[in-house]
Amino acid sequence: MKRMKRRELIFKVITYTLIFLLLFPLVVLVVWSFTKNWPWPNIIPREFGLRGIKYVFGPSSKSLKILLFSLWLSSVVTIVTLLISIPAAKALGVYDFKGRRIFKMLVLAPVIVPSVAVSMGIHVTFIRLGLANTFLGVVLVHLIPCIPYGIRILTNVFEIIGESMEMQARVLGANPVKAFLYITLPLISPGLVSAGSLIFIVSFSQYFLTFLIGGGKIITFPMLMFPYIQSGDRMMASMYSVVFIVSSLIFLVIMEKTVKTYYKAENYFYI
Amino acid sequence: MYKWLKPYVLLLPAMMVILGIFIFGLAMGLIQSFGYFPVVGLNKITLKYYREVLTDKTFLSSLGFSFYISLISSIMSVVIGVLLAYSIVQSESKKGIEKVIYKLPIIVPHAVAALLVYNILSQSGILARILYSFGIIGDQSEFPSLIFDKKGIGVILAYIWKAIPFTTMVVYTILSNVNDKLLEVALNLGADRRQVFWYVLLPLIMPSIFSCFIIIFAFSFGAFEVPYLLGPTSPKALPVKAYIEYNNPDLTHRPYSMVINMSLTFISVILVWLYHKSFKLISRYDG
Repeated sequence: MKRMKRRELIFKVITYTLIFLLLFPLVVLVVWSFTKNWPWPNIIPREFGLRGIKYVFGPSSKSLKILLFSLWLSSVVTIVTLLISIPAAKALGVYDFKGRRIFKMLVLAPVIVPSVAVSMGIHVTFIRLGLANTFLGVVLVHLIPCIPYGIRILTNVFEIIGESMEMQARVLGANPVKAFLYITLPLISPGLVSAGSLIFIVSFSQYFLTFLIGGGKIITFPMLMFPYIQSGDRMMASMYSVVFIVSSLIFLVIMEKTVKTYYKAENYFYI
Repeated sequence: MYKWLKPYVLLLPAMMVILGIFIFGLAMGLIQSFGYFPVVGLNKITLKYYREVLTDKTFLSSLGFSFYISLISSIMSVVIGVLLAYSIVQSESKKGIEKVIYKLPIIVPHAVAALLVYNILSQSGILARILYSFGIIGDQSEFPSLIFDKKGIGVILAYIWKAIPFTTMVVYTILSNVNDKLLEVALNLGADRRQVFWYVLLPLIMPSIFSCFIIIFAFSFGAFEVPYLLGPTSPKALPVKAYIEYNNPDLTHRPYSMVINMSLTFISVILVWLYHKSFKLISRYDG
């Protein structure tokens, strides 16, 4: 019995040490963002201040507008990706057909193949089609890193639920639209939340794709943040990062709550 | 009705995007890497660019650097991630904050991860300040440069910080769903905890560990932000090098950048192939 206790203690220590190491940098980030004066070699800042947050949300600043625009862009990307992924995931999860493995490999490939290579290759074509430097162009190119996550998670969901429930509804006289809306959609809603969250995160943190295809015309929040990080302006960079993290957290919670009020979704991360 | 057509119709929108942007983009890159770029008057298909790039010393050292960074990052992330997942399951706390809070780094973008590393490891960072206050170092300059360094320590730490929670999440989901009966049987038959881990749990999580490894490796091999922000000036990571070549105002320079991109892609594809090969070997455990 005593041995058991010691064992448990060791694992508790490992757990909390690792979690501390993961979270400590974030604590430092928050402290930096509310710092006014923090000279070497002080371990805590000499003076705290609100210059960062005032700058970000100040009346002359465009940051808030860009933040909202960023959230909007990533929401569009999330919805489009889900709309594309639901049918594809159903095909891969429920049916057996010729070429299934190849299709599966193709839709998952963008996780492995660097998007740097894809975006530089497509750039000239996008310029010629008038898609470069546009909202539509950036949304389209964001789909590439997002689709694998959407399809992968939803395929697992469809593999679990199968087609039998929808079939029953059809047999009982529901048309395909009704069967989908009232049977399939509620069943996959927990999967939609986890897929949607992941897709949103991938799109919202995208820097390089937006930078290249948006060509400086489409400006998202990570692009605003990047120069501060690059120049080593720790206070401003930290403040932008905190705003970024907090807004994505809020957004994810709202999304989960909204879906949950519609469907009593319980099971969170499906993967 | 044409029932056999249904899955293909369902896959159509996804395939339009994948073929129209992903595959097409790669194909365009491939064509340009062979020197065919009519927009700027390059019309001849040639292997010249491949020959030049692949024998270039800076390219080879970049390739080595990228490979080294990805390998170390993915191995460390997987090992620590599994350790954390196993520890959380073993410490059996009922409150469960630790089951959620470790996921936080997942929503943090890589550029911010780079900033976190900078805040802590730069010569005026927190770690240097703490060492100074203990009198371990006497001055900033005595703190070893762990970022912008040739060993890529800063880059690796940023990737590890991001990837541990990802591995932990995947492995934890499986570990917490493993049927307790399986473990009881093993214990009843006289296995000790260590044997249960190595012979029961590890084979069960091995496929996921493997796919985490591949995903982390491929990401850190092909991503631009972290090595751009924290990497040394030389050798540069391959994606950074590709972008610098791409940015060259002389457009006839493009094929060089595309050769680098194709090398990145080629290695990633080899990786996926290896993954499928070895997956078959590993999944024998499943039977």
